[in-house]
Amino acid sequence: MQLTVTDTGPTLVIAVGEARIDAAIATRFKDHLREVVVHHRKPVVMQMGAVDFMDSSGLGAMIALRKALSEDLPLTLEGLTPNVERVFRLTRMDTVFDIRPEAENEE
Amino acid sequence: MTSTERQNAGLKGRVSARSQPMFHRVLAARPGTVRDTLIEIRKRFCSEVSDDTLGRLELVLAEVMNNVAEHAATQLGAPDRSQIPSIHLSIVLHESGLACAITDDGVALPANCVLPRGLPIIDTEDLPEGGFGWYLIQDLTQALCYYREGNRNFLAFSVPFLHRATNP
Repeated sequence: MQLTVTDTGPTLVIAVGEARIDAAIATRFKDHLREVVVHHRKPVVMQMGAVDFMDSSGLGAMIALRKALSEDLPLTLEGLTPNVERVFRLTRMDTVFDIRPEAENEE
Repeated sequence: MTSTERQNAGLKGRVSARSQPMFHRVLAARPGTVRDTLIEIRKRFCSEVSDDTLGRLELVLAEVMNNVAEHAATQLGAPDRSQIPSIHLSIVLHESGLACAITDDGVALPANCVLPRGLPIIDTEDLPEGGFGWYLIQDLTQALCYYREGNRNFLAFSVPFLHRATNP
């Protein structure tokens, strides 16, 4: 599984390197990341720019992650590609996540 | 008449048909095989169809075929033995979209899958983690129809070039 997890102190940054979050990996993706976010207990930023396809099982995995974090901790999704953004929008799940454009490089 | 036109000419000496990309595959209903097939479909149509249409086609086909992989396996006597269904898929490029026909030899599709449906109820206290697949299929397709004959499911639909959301 292509995931890079970095604890920056205030937030946990997860860079998703998988090109597809689909039925072939959704369960492993969910189980692995749920463990990671529960362990760290801090706001999560997921960098999604490398993901160019997600289906409803991938969406289910993202929702399971949101539910694994306590409600006061934000889960921010950055850099959604059009195919991934479409799934969040059509299912209205874009209202549940904090969706932002790709962050500018900060000096 | 050029030599190419002569080669393409039908019985009456006219150019018989335009060449359009099509896709046909017989595959086992396994998530990894479905993924590989979707990647091939993207390659087949990417020079003719916009990224937006291709993205909607890919999502619909992923939902349909993964449903077969997940739900349609038939039990063979012992509870731990099941038969992985075989999917037959055809996609044809038309003037207004991509026409798709998918059949499989899994268990019959429950009738409520193809009936009009809304989104699962979004309870922010307890978010739904599933139930989105058939909503997406219905939202992104036109002329969705289902038929069961013998031991096969037949599903046909079209993915239009322009998508107008049913819930704008």
